[in-house]
Amino acid sequence: MRRALSHLGLILAVVIVIFPILWVFRTSLVPPQESYSTTILPSVTLDNYRALFAEKNFGRNYLNSLIVAILSVVVTMPLAAMTGYAFARFRTGGGLARFATLASQMLPPVALALPTFMLFRGLGLTNSLTGLTIVYAAINLPFLTWILMGFFEAIPEDLEGAAMTDGATRWGAFWRVVLPVAAPGIMAAGVLGFILSWNEFLFALILGGSNTATVPVALASLQTSNGVQISNVAAGVSLAILPLMIAAKFIQKYLVEGLSFGSVK
Amino acid sequence: MSEIKLNKISRDYGQGIFGVHDVSLEIETGEFMVLLGPSGCGKSTTLRMIAGLEETTSGEISIAGRDVTRLAPRERNVAVVFQSYALYPHMSVRENMRFGMKMRKTPLDEQDARIARAAEVLGLQPYLDRKPAALSGGQRQRVALGRAIVREPDVFLMDEPLSNLDAKLRGEMRQELVRLHRRVGKTTVFVTHDHVEAMTMGDRICIMRNGCIEQVGAPLEVYARPRNTFVAQFLAAPAMNLVPATLTAAAGAVTLSAGPIVGPLPAREAALYAPAAGRALLFGLRAEDILTQPRPGAQPFSAVVTALEALGPENLIVVEAEGQALSARVDRHFLPRIGAEVTLHADLAHMHLFDAASGDALARET
Ligand SMILES: Nc1ncnc2c1ncn2[C@@H]1O[C@H](COP(=O)(O)OP(=O)(O)OP(=O)(O)O)[C@@H](O)[C@H]1O
Ligand SMILES: [Mg+2]
Repeated sequence: MRRALSHLGLILAVVIVIFPILWVFRTSLVPPQESYSTTILPSVTLDNYRALFAEKNFGRNYLNSLIVAILSVVVTMPLAAMTGYAFARFRTGGGLARFATLASQMLPPVALALPTFMLFRGLGLTNSLTGLTIVYAAINLPFLTWILMGFFEAIPEDLEGAAMTDGATRWGAFWRVVLPVAAPGIMAAGVLGFILSWNEFLFALILGGSNTATVPVALASLQTSNGVQISNVAAGVSLAILPLMIAAKFIQKYLVEGLSFGSVK
Repeated sequence: MSEIKLNKISRDYGQGIFGVHDVSLEIETGEFMVLLGPSGCGKSTTLRMIAGLEETTSGEISIAGRDVTRLAPRERNVAVVFQSYALYPHMSVRENMRFGMKMRKTPLDEQDARIARAAEVLGLQPYLDRKPAALSGGQRQRVALGRAIVREPDVFLMDEPLSNLDAKLRGEMRQELVRLHRRVGKTTVFVTHDHVEAMTMGDRICIMRNGCIEQVGAPLEVYARPRNTFVAQFLAAPAMNLVPATLTAAAGAVTLSAGPIVGPLPAREAALYAPAAGRALLFGLRAEDILTQPRPGAQPFSAVVTALEALGPENLIVVEAEGQALSARVDRHFLPRIGAEVTLHADLAHMHLFDAASGDALARET
């Protein structure tokens, strides 16, 4: 009985959390004139999605977002892995380097937006995906370094000791033992970095033009002076959530795997 | 030849903190040397310095006549069995064993042969394709051993490899390790804080405290002739009884006065210890040298029983007299009530005497 009650409570909580998302999804599937009606599904249509791609160039935005988010993680990951490892094992840079890494996360992004814009305009990097990728890589680097440092610290040093007495160099021990063991953590960190970049709005808006607009920028631009085009927004949001849902699934898997070095002890 | 020579090695952590301080030790080819000592005394640090995993801030280490002090771990040809086993979690048992040979470019068929042999010796055949996560503690421990054996190194270094096992398995592995050592005959340094392991496994034991060596010798020799009170107390459970004492020499007889134990020393001890008369001393007697039956040379004394532990094969009792608590290892049929007064006999033929101030043992011939 108590179990049933607590399950009921949990189900209620879940409904409260996902209801807005479900409603957005519902809105994306009904004709614009039904958007604000309370009928759950008056009629189902894919016109909103079609319009989004045909009239708003959403495919381009989606591709931009994917390119920038994936590239920024791919560029950052090796650097973050090596920096995080150095922090974790050799205390490189001491407390100061760690503090600086963390402190960079505290800075409000707006404070960096204008200087970055000036700098990038001078370098001709505004209005380009390269510029955006560089910014996202820079944002991801301290974040991923911090996360990976935690993962590396969780790997017992004896593992490397074993590899090195077994005949590996320091680098060999890192490459053949530490990296594979940390792989789930690295994947999880990569997914987090991807999400961070995927959702980023401020820099994408300031540094980008219409060709480089990412999904968040495109969605914002649907709020025109003629009102919010709610059915298009709903369709766009539904699509924008898709990679996040896949990412969340991955993270769950990797975090569980990554945090159980059960075989070491 | 694969002897290890430690020449005044130290590990200085700065600010006057030493993990290991001026340790010199020679371990012969094929010898099984046990490093024994309490937690934090520098056993692991010493072992890791030999392996090259810990920097040697001063002194020299040589293995097989080769100065390895500044060499990387992989250039020293040692195999380490870690306390945590440190198995590679992403590799199967077979790959774990193969890793070191692969690094050293051992021919593939030779690799397979050695893995097969080690798996047979250690009973690992059924598990070769499992990941370490799917093994029990004892099996992991065997894999860690196997990984070391297949390398065929000059030297084995083992850091408390049995400490994660339950009592029964530990006893079995102790014997298995000794058998293995006999068969392979490799120079082995074995770290433990368990005096039973030290006594039963070592050709010699090296007792450490605070980063320094206190005594090195064959187990029974160290047991019989501890150099100071620390060694005397560390190498047994219950620890050796220590009681403040004085000797008085008069008319050719030497009389001991150690708490409740007062009486003349046997002739041999009297001759030996007479020069120490009048000094502040500590009288040491092992729990098994407090007897329940009289014996020539044993000094009777009475005491009150304050605790009794019936272990099965024998009983441990704690008695108190004149403010001194003494532990005795007695026959299993000797079962006094708590609070009862009993007469016990201190076997002075096996007594030890230490200087009260320094804790050093007074010279003893036998
Ligand atoms: N990085 C360090 N900085 C300062 N002191 C250290 C450091 N590493 C170890 N020590 C000190 O060195 C001493 C020896 O440590 P070690 O690990 O060798 O002890 P141990 O004899 O193996 O103990 P245990 O039985 O607990 O494993 C300890 O007192 C420890 O506090
Ligand atoms: Mg240790």
